[in-house]
Amino acid sequence: MEPSYELFDHTADMGIRVRAATLPDLLAPAGEALYDVIGDVKAGGDSEPVSINLIGEEPAELLRDYLAEVLTIFDRDARVVTSVDVATFTNDHLTATLQTAILDDRRSALHREVKAITYHELDVRSIPGGFEASLIVDI
Amino acid sequence: MPGPYKGPLERIDDTSWRIPKSYKPGMRVDGIIYADDVLIESVKQDQSPEQVANVAMLPGIVKHSLAMPDIHWGYGFCIGGVAATNPKQGGVISPGGVGYDINCGVRLLSTNLTLKDVQPRMEQLIEKLFKTVPCGVGRGGIIKFSKKELHRIMVDGSHYVVDRGFGWKSDIEMTEASGRIDNARPDFLSQRAIERGHDQCGTLGSGNHFLEIQVVERIDDPQAASAMDLVEGNITVAIHSGSRGLGYQVCDDAIKELHNAPRKYGIELPDKQLVCAPVESPEGQRYLGAMGAAANFAWANRQIMTHLVRQAFSEFFDMSAERMGLSLIYDVAHNIAKMESYEVDGRMTELCVHRKGATRAFPAGHPELPDRYKSIGQPVLVPGDMGRSSYVLVGRPSAMENTFGSCCHGAGRLMSRGAAIRAAKGRSIKRELLDRGVIAKARGRTGLDEEQPEAYKDVLQVVDVLHNADISRRVARLRPIGVMKG
Repeated sequence: MEPSYELFDHTADMGIRVRAATLPDLLAPAGEALYDVIGDVKAGGDSEPVSINLIGEEPAELLRDYLAEVLTIFDRDARVVTSVDVATFTNDHLTATLQTAILDDRRSALHREVKAITYHELDVRSIPGGFEASLIVDI
Repeated sequence: MPGPYKGPLERIDDTSWRIPKSYKPGMRVDGIIYADDVLIESVKQDQSPEQVANVAMLPGIVKHSLAMPDIHWGYGFCIGGVAATNPKQGGVISPGGVGYDINCGVRLLSTNLTLKDVQPRMEQLIEKLFKTVPCGVGRGGIIKFSKKELHRIMVDGSHYVVDRGFGWKSDIEMTEASGRIDNARPDFLSQRAIERGHDQCGTLGSGNHFLEIQVVERIDDPQAASAMDLVEGNITVAIHSGSRGLGYQVCDDAIKELHNAPRKYGIELPDKQLVCAPVESPEGQRYLGAMGAAANFAWANRQIMTHLVRQAFSEFFDMSAERMGLSLIYDVAHNIAKMESYEVDGRMTELCVHRKGATRAFPAGHPELPDRYKSIGQPVLVPGDMGRSSYVLVGRPSAMENTFGSCCHGAGRLMSRGAAIRAAKGRSIKRELLDRGVIAKARGRTGLDEEQPEAYKDVLQVVDVLHNADISRRVARLRPIGVMKG
């Protein structure tokens, strides 16, 4: 199964649905979906690694926490995650190295401010050939 | 999206509906939704009534789990939700009952300018506001504060920034809670919350946040309008924003920190987003303190923008803000939890009142009101949409009896953002607004499409429900003529 994502409707906010063959493969399309919600996000310049080490109770929580990290890196540091190298993704632990590049303000067009990645309707489930996850982001 | 609500909704009268506590095991009180026969049909289209029922399960909840007529689906609590809990009876506080944008709110400025003074140059005025008031996704402010100053902002809210010269002394009195929550604890905030918000005080943000120039189109209550300096044909300015990245992170941190609290205190919850802790527990006090700091940040944020609006108007019209009468009518929070006193079973009791997309609406004579409004009641500011109108109301005594002194906060969304974008295909919302006499400009490409008038309920219908229920009374209708969106 090729990693993919789609956005879906929620009354005031937006939903993200991600599919991939493995749990680690969910991360990259989830990040892309988040940037898609924000707008046309372009990055440039030198790459800088960021290590993450997340503890949770289930994969859905870890995926939410991962996206919260991606959002913080964007919001606080004006940086964009360009690739993710996952070392561990178990039911309760996620470690990864993210490559980040600076947000290119001139080439980007930002349309929506994502306030947070919520726990509302948060879900990761097995589907034939892989996994499907859904999350709602607060706008 | 999950389908329509299928549970019970019993008609109480022309303006309210009951979800009986027998609906779901665990409900401690009934749910009450304010809506008329028309609005209730749109309410049933999503799961927001189910959320009203879920909130009724919170420990210590008093009287009812309430929803205002601008109710729509949120997370944990619905938007438009009001719930009061009694800390002395194990009552809880829930970040989901406040929302991510802590102390998102509205303020309204009066002017003695008229339509004739403003309309011919509206496009240039909006441009001037765009240049003066920072807005848009993640934008930092033009006024920078050191770490120490930021700490003062979180402790003293509007007071600190007015002392620094960003406003008038009278602004403080015309702000809910005088623009400061006293028990704020900036030391309870994470480093990440500080970092996300440190340069955003004095910025509008994006989404449904706006700065709007309006004309007073109709006065319904001349006495109250006169107390607020609202004159038919005069211009008003509305500012809608909140606590920016700082507040969003405080909420996100709190939901995580409270993760284990329900288990620790034996609280069963139907929805993770309703995570909570007893108000009097260390966890509850910690959230209350952090939320207070974010609320103070939000009041300082709107106060600085008020200063910037005065500066922009002053430069644009080459006249002092004082001469234009650019004074604050009132500032209300609509995402907050506060300790307030209400009569419960014949006794005055201090309750923790959650308002998530709901506005405080104290009646005449309430001790927390400034002298200016003592005889008329608290101004309640209810923005509608970009194309129709907004309303100024006042609180009524029955709000204290029935809704914990609360009222609606807006029109309430009807369409999802995606549906609004699809509905805007092939149309120019900007052009359509212009045809209605509104000059609107947004920094983001999708802003006007997602916020188009049709995406919202008709605010008049929403306001009328509460007027007819005698929770609030209409004072004035304001028509937008210039809109700035982030």
